[in-house]
Amino acid sequence: MIAATAAPLTFSAYSLIALLFQFLNSFGFIVLATVGLAIIFGMMGVINLAHGEFILIGVYGTALPFHAGVPLPVAMIGGVVAATVFGVLVERTIVNRFYDRLLDSMVATWGLALVVSQLLLIVFGSSLDSISAPMGSVAYGPFSSSIYRSVFLPLVAVAVLVGLYALFTRTEFGIKARATIEDPETARAMGIDTDRMYTVTFAIGSALAGLTGALYAPALGSITPNRGSTFLVEAFVAVVVGGPSVIVGTLSAAGVLSVFNATGSFLFGTFIGQMLLLLVAIVALRALPNGISGYLDDWQQRRRAEE
Amino acid sequence: MSGSLDGGSTSLLGRVRDRLEGPNTIGDSPAFWVGFAVAVAALAVYPFTTDPYTIIQSSRYLALSFLALSLCFIWGYAGVLSFGQVAFFGIAAYAFGIIGINLSSTVGVGVAIVGAVLAGTLSAALLGYFMFYGGVRETYVTIMTLVVALVLNTFMAQTAGSEWAVGAAQLGGFNGMTDIPSLTLGVGETALVLEGVGLYYALLVALVASYLGLRVLVNGQFGMTMVAVREDEARTTTFGYDVPFVKLVVFTIGGALAAVGGVFYASWGNYIDPSVFGIAFAALPVVWVSVGGRESLLGAIGATLAIERMRTGLSSGIGPIGSEWALVIVGGLLLGVILFLPAGVVPRLADLTDELREKRSERSQSTAATEEPTE
Amino acid sequence: MTHESLSRRSVLASGATALGVSLAGCSGGGGGGGGGGGPTVGILEDRSGNFQLNGTSKWQATRLAIEEINENGGLLGEQIEIVDPDPQSDNSRYQELTERLILQDEVDALWAGYSSATREAIRPIINENEQLYFYTTQYEGGVCDNTIFPVGATARQQLGIVTPYLAEEFGEDIYIIAADYNFGQLSGDWVNVLAQENDYNIVGEEYIPLDETDFSSVINRIQDEEPDFIMSMLVGANHENFYAQRATNNLESIPIGTSTAMAQGHEHIRYDPPALTNVYAGVSYMEELGDLREGENFVEDFYERWPDANYLNQEAQNNYFSVYLWAQAVEEAGTFDQQEVISVLEEGRDISAPSGDLTLDGATHHMEHEMRVARADENHDISFANNERIGPSFLREEVEGGDGCDLREEDKTTQYVPSDVYDV
Repeated sequence: MIAATAAPLTFSAYSLIALLFQFLNSFGFIVLATVGLAIIFGMMGVINLAHGEFILIGVYGTALPFHAGVPLPVAMIGGVVAATVFGVLVERTIVNRFYDRLLDSMVATWGLALVVSQLLLIVFGSSLDSISAPMGSVAYGPFSSSIYRSVFLPLVAVAVLVGLYALFTRTEFGIKARATIEDPETARAMGIDTDRMYTVTFAIGSALAGLTGALYAPALGSITPNRGSTFLVEAFVAVVVGGPSVIVGTLSAAGVLSVFNATGSFLFGTFIGQMLLLLVAIVALRALPNGISGYLDDWQQRRRAEE
Repeated sequence: MSGSLDGGSTSLLGRVRDRLEGPNTIGDSPAFWVGFAVAVAALAVYPFTTDPYTIIQSSRYLALSFLALSLCFIWGYAGVLSFGQVAFFGIAAYAFGIIGINLSSTVGVGVAIVGAVLAGTLSAALLGYFMFYGGVRETYVTIMTLVVALVLNTFMAQTAGSEWAVGAAQLGGFNGMTDIPSLTLGVGETALVLEGVGLYYALLVALVASYLGLRVLVNGQFGMTMVAVREDEARTTTFGYDVPFVKLVVFTIGGALAAVGGVFYASWGNYIDPSVFGIAFAALPVVWVSVGGRESLLGAIGATLAIERMRTGLSSGIGPIGSEWALVIVGGLLLGVILFLPAGVVPRLADLTDELREKRSERSQSTAATEEPTE
Repeated sequence: MTHESLSRRSVLASGATALGVSLAGCSGGGGGGGGGGGPTVGILEDRSGNFQLNGTSKWQATRLAIEEINENGGLLGEQIEIVDPDPQSDNSRYQELTERLILQDEVDALWAGYSSATREAIRPIINENEQLYFYTTQYEGGVCDNTIFPVGATARQQLGIVTPYLAEEFGEDIYIIAADYNFGQLSGDWVNVLAQENDYNIVGEEYIPLDETDFSSVINRIQDEEPDFIMSMLVGANHENFYAQRATNNLESIPIGTSTAMAQGHEHIRYDPPALTNVYAGVSYMEELGDLREGENFVEDFYERWPDANYLNQEAQNNYFSVYLWAQAVEEAGTFDQQEVISVLEEGRDISAPSGDLTLDGATHHMEHEMRVARADENHDISFANNERIGPSFLREEVEGGDGCDLREEDKTTQYVPSDVYDV
């Protein structure tokens, strides 16, 4: 029987570029898969196990209009809208009962995930025709990489993080939202409608999940009702490695995890890449029980205390 | 457990009851024990009332109940939600297969049982030490246990080649490990192979024993410490308890229970595959325990039996409702229970009977003998 | 062991009848025929979960065949009942339902399972109960088992038709990518066997976890090695993304040989060109082949019965003709008794199937298939070439030091692998 690892690429400037593109590809995927989950977890303390299905709604919301003849960029808006509307409905009917019951929220959203993916199967059948990735590829030496996956999506990922940073630090909504997270009692006393803050935060998280679905609809290959799990595991791992702070956490976790994933896949094949990602997550959790961003917070506080 | 109605605490029976009862379990009335005895007796005669297929299926549900008991114990009583309890279940199942296949004799099966339970228990102890002494807490414990299960899933799925063998046992990758021996009782020629009804009774005895054992444990001094850790870790620490140690012990016992279930499960189907470490299977214990009530050991068992029976039934559809609705119904039920009965079905029932009892005793000072059994 | 447990079970069964009580109340309306009733056939094919894309049309084709038989007066004058719960791509559910179909519904024949993992999961149950079982997926080959009829084409048949064809057309440097589990690894071994026999070069070989969806690093490695063609034994919806990413990276110039793509998951329909352009599949059947029998139209009948069906795949055709194979054997045996039906089947039979005139090899329980190479062009139109009849030569002539496996002569419940015979 043959060893299951592949031979590494011949070492050259070109192969380093290939590695860089693989890293960007992996980085973009992890950031986009994670960010919706991270907002809902970081801001509201709810772990949404139906996150994969939220993304899937974005995928279906994009693919259905696209196959009906709508141009892809417009169809993508459909995906975002579908996931947002769905998110608001879910928040109002289900999630709002779980704000102080973190573990129960996992169980409830798991139930929701089962329902959504099976309903997609019943309503839309076993698969939708797939969508080709736009933008083609860039060639260098013997290699090529997809522009959409390795350049465009990582750029969008960074733009999303920058946008969120601006939203939470530069707008009145952001300040109110953070106040609500820090201390809901006081926030209410100061006249902030905390219920509304939660709904809006959940809607933003859902919209981002929908955006991820819309963006990956043409990069996913087959569109079947069980593709949600493609996103869930990576997102899960990245959220806990990153810790409670949405932006710093997502950014640092995606950075660390994709370095290991890309290098592992590059040197030894995709299996080692996958295993490394999971093992790094375990070690990181043990070393930094509150995630990278939790560790950075502690460190800052210690420094302040010393000064 | 012959269901005596007298509650005298001087008799032997009374002393046994004292050990089994306490504030940490639901169902301390004589009526409860009568109900319990009736339920166990019903499960004991069940094989005579049904067909071989149903017995084999029920054995599977009983094996899974250990997994539910194990999660209920650590989550309900110590507040540690493990989403990867299946890891120890699966490790024990694989270990049982590896040892059993290599030592293909009745003695070998005995060694395999001990070895497999040890393997599951030790891996729980190791992971517990790693987490609780490393300061990993709450949600992060949940995630970490899940990630451990997923690592095992990814790893075992690729062990297909012939180089992935331990002695005569092929790990088998995604296809799983076949030819795992059945459990046997006794040694040599006279050994009884536990299949069908035999396995059913072995499971029933083991499950009842584990349940009663856990009741003694949670109502004893250690149980009180566990509950204290669940309710307030900081305060428990200030009272001088070593909280990480308590959690480690709880987690290890939980691992051992899951391991026992894994051994039964592997010998039930003579087969194990990496899907035991997958996210879909990992979620099931959480589902059972949430529905049954995380603070009710019996609720966890009952919910496992009921939900698994229902899932099997639904795979053929019910009347006009096709099988494609099975997962929708299971998911919807789960949502409904969590939304409307947050503590789970059994604790809610217990509350209801308590209310009923209070109302009744307000009206007339009737004796407890007329109570309806709780649980 | 088996005997002891069987006798215990029958004692129990009689106990159950004596008491006449069943707590099994809600065992479902799937039409459980039950013991003592008319002839019953069990179908366990995935209609939800991971394999539903391939399983659904297998289920549809099996039902179609049985319904056709029933419309024409049934078998031995009796209407055949169908029990077909949905195993949801879950192997432990498969085990459970297999037990149920055998013990409770007492099916006279069973069609079950898409993946080889499923087959291995239920094989101990099949063996213990000596259940007649048709496994219809194309597979890695080598199963030699008393009561199992693996009627799909094997890796040796599929790869044996497509690999030499591509080597002749394009050159002899091969890059192998395959799913990292038993089927993929054994298929990879078979390509290696073919390479040894014909002096091809394996320039790269890679096994990919079943849940991987990103193939950028794989594509870079292929570009690095510049093979003449790729042999792809990727499996499942996740892996399909390889073909999409191949198109993005303009890799269609390197042809791909496969035993898995197109004929099962109809990727050439679900993906826009040029994702599958220059993919060559070794197949026994695809919907595009139509019906090679005189005056019959399988494809039309199929879509008339199942207007919403996605595709009529290679596996579904195997289900379809094997139902007729079984029905013929029942007619000849004059009974539904499984051992007698198996004895008739083991005499070997010719059957006229939509894919051509096939022969069941009685000794090995495998089929002599009409194999062909199906190629997708730049518009994903399918053309067929290189038609050849290939028998189950590995089991018939190569294993056991060349004696082959002969289930008429001896009892076996085993699976041979290429490394039993070849140095791979």
